[in-house]
Amino acid sequence: MSRDKIAAYADAVASIVEAEGQAERTADELFRVARAFESNDQLRTTLSDGTIPAERRQQVVEQLLGGRAQATTVQVVSFLVATSRVRDLPAIVDAVVQRVASGRDQHVAEVRSAIALTSEQEQRLAAALAKATGKTVDLKVVVDPSVLGGLVATVGDEVIDGTVRSRLDQLKTLI
Amino acid sequence: MRWITLLAAEDPTVTHHWLLPETPEIIYGGLASLVVVSALVKFAGPSIKKGFKARTERIQKEIDDAASAKARAEDDARGIRSALGDVASERSRMLQEADRQAEALLAEGRARIAAEVADLEAKAEADIAAARGRSADELRSQIAALASRATPIVVEATLTEATKKDLVESFIASVGAAR
Repeated sequence: MSRDKIAAYADAVASIVEAEGQAERTADELFRVARAFESNDQLRTTLSDGTIPAERRQQVVEQLLGGRAQATTVQVVSFLVATSRVRDLPAIVDAVVQRVASGRDQHVAEVRSAIALTSEQEQRLAAALAKATGKTVDLKVVVDPSVLGGLVATVGDEVIDGTVRSRLDQLKTLI
Repeated sequence: MRWITLLAAEDPTVTHHWLLPETPEIIYGGLASLVVVSALVKFAGPSIKKGFKARTERIQKEIDDAASAKARAEDDARGIRSALGDVASERSRMLQEADRQAEALLAEGRARIAAEVADLEAKAEADIAAARGRSADELRSQIAALASRATPIVVEATLTEATKKDLVESFIASVGAAR
């Protein structure tokens, strides 16, 4: 899908999220769904399989997210599945998250960690990133075992990589 | 024999001497001989002198020719001796030249062989170095491949939850201290 279409969908979804209230929480849930969609091949294949009727795929979404996420989150994902735009779910959601954060004069800080962070760690990390980048950040933490250990934070174009994976990659390059 | 018989038959007492003729016979005979000799001197003398002169000249010519031939022969002999000397000199020169060329060829051959040996040695050393480099590279590559595969496994196995939390704390602290 072209950038213009992604932007159009993102504008629409962001407007819905803002209109429904609790935009931050919804954006956070959408962010997690997007990351799960990226990392889970089976989920991605199932939701984007055109041979499966859209209603059946929407049922899968409701079964997965129902009771765990806000109704708005479920509806947005279900809407993208129904319109066969689910392949662009990560890009649309990232744009939505950016818009929601911008509306609050914040910058999205995507953090990947091998382990889940405590809320206290997230607060300290957000404060540290704000200090390091000079921006107010909206922290989005993704648990990603592939980083092995440590964290990698992406704020706009800035990437602060302290993962064991990157160290191993550097070591591999040196070898 | 008959003449001897006649002599023996003559009587020595008839003449004044048994060996000498009679005096008038001697006078007449002497005069006749004188006339004959004078006639010979007058008429045959010039031709005899001429003959002697011609013979003398011929002999002198022959002597001169012989001398000339001898001189030519001596010249030829000198030429031959000189030629023999030249031949010996040329032979010596040719032998020296042959020796010099042989030495030059030998030196050139030695130099060429030495250069070829040096080239072969250099090539062999380069081949050995290249083979050593390839072996080292292959070994390094294999070690790197093994290390690349083993390191994440070892690291992951040694990364405990506590270590991961420490890494998170370390990251937060380092980012916070960045500015």
